[in-house]
Amino acid sequence: MLSNQKNSQFETLVRAYSAELYRYAYWICRDRFVAEDLVQETFTRAWQGWEGLRDDKAAKSWLYTILRNEHARSFERKRFDIDDAADLDGLIDHTTARPYEEIELRQMLAALPRGYREPMVLQVLGGYSCAEIAKIMEINVGAVMTRLTRARLALRKLAGVVAPRKVNNL
Amino acid sequence: MNCFEFRKLLLTDPRVQTPEQERHLAGCDACANLAREMGAFEAHVHDALQVPVPEALADRVLLRHKIRAPAVRTWALAASLVAALGVGIYFYRVPLVEHERVLTAAALGANHPAVTAIAHVLDEEPRMLKENRGVDPVVMRAAFMRLGLNLPANGTTVLYFDKCPMTGGAGNHVVLQTPFGQVTLILVPDQSFGARVVVADRDKTAIAAPHRAGGYILIADSLRNVRQTEKLLI
Repeated sequence: MLSNQKNSQFETLVRAYSAELYRYAYWICRDRFVAEDLVQETFTRAWQGWEGLRDDKAAKSWLYTILRNEHARSFERKRFDIDDAADLDGLIDHTTARPYEEIELRQMLAALPRGYREPMVLQVLGGYSCAEIAKIMEINVGAVMTRLTRARLALRKLAGVVAPRKVNNL
Repeated sequence: MNCFEFRKLLLTDPRVQTPEQERHLAGCDACANLAREMGAFEAHVHDALQVPVPEALADRVLLRHKIRAPAVRTWALAASLVAALGVGIYFYRVPLVEHERVLTAAALGANHPAVTAIAHVLDEEPRMLKENRGVDPVVMRAAFMRLGLNLPANGTTVLYFDKCPMTGGAGNHVVLQTPFGQVTLILVPDQSFGARVVVADRDKTAIAAPHRAGGYILIADSLRNVRQTEKLLI
């Protein structure tokens, strides 16, 4: 009975968060194959450490933290060779109305240093507050706010170069 | 709050608006314009971050763990959706605008119909789609017509259509495969739920809007996809 309940809860978590975790993984490693491996490993570790999850509401942050740690562990083992050109086709979502404009913005996001890109991803995709991002990234809230501000300023500056979105009063 | 403080907060999180920021916005046209522009840019960033997810990723994860399907809890979740939909009492039509503020689920509240609908889609829809019930085209067309919505034709297929029990009547749960991806549409014919809102939660974006004597909720992977589908419907 308990096992069934655990299986059911686990499947709910997988269905609810696998896509979101994949995108987070992609934006920290920028390799879609590695990103899928990271998601698989994250859920494997989540299953193994299920008893450590005391509060269902904390599950999402728990999974994000596992993925982040798993990524850090992987990077200790090896450096990934990222071939941007080879990866580009896989990134093109032909179901969007203007795929190439979206790719430009993705390139700008990819151009941000990871320390700035990651809090953006956590905030915009994960919906986390600055305090929650600080906890996941193990830095202080002030640093998160500074990085978010700088990331947005940098993105807007980049967008001003390649697209007519420049704002003069910032 | 002065303009500098307002802009500093805006750059930190454009989706959050404190009462102090609202007061500043009311009296400062320059900051109001900037907030609108930032909102639009933020929506582009949100869409750009939504890189395509490999097909059947969740299934592969589950296959690896050999996990069985979950117990059926449709009615419990449907009931919570119904209760949430019953909250809305106002209805009026708000024109579609390009620069809408995208709210977080936390800002809107867990009981808002749009937030509840996203949870329902994430938790129950994969199983509902597996059931693959037959679609009665006459009943479906009637449901769309009742709300004055177009049933998208070219390039769109209906993956799922069924009744969705609600307080005071019945609505419909529709899953469409559109040129912009898979989109869920909740039709609510006889109830409305206040002003139009756009909310992003987990990896989904939803628009909840009043329409005629009822309303609808659209849920998709990105703001762009939701808006594109909405244009097909109206």
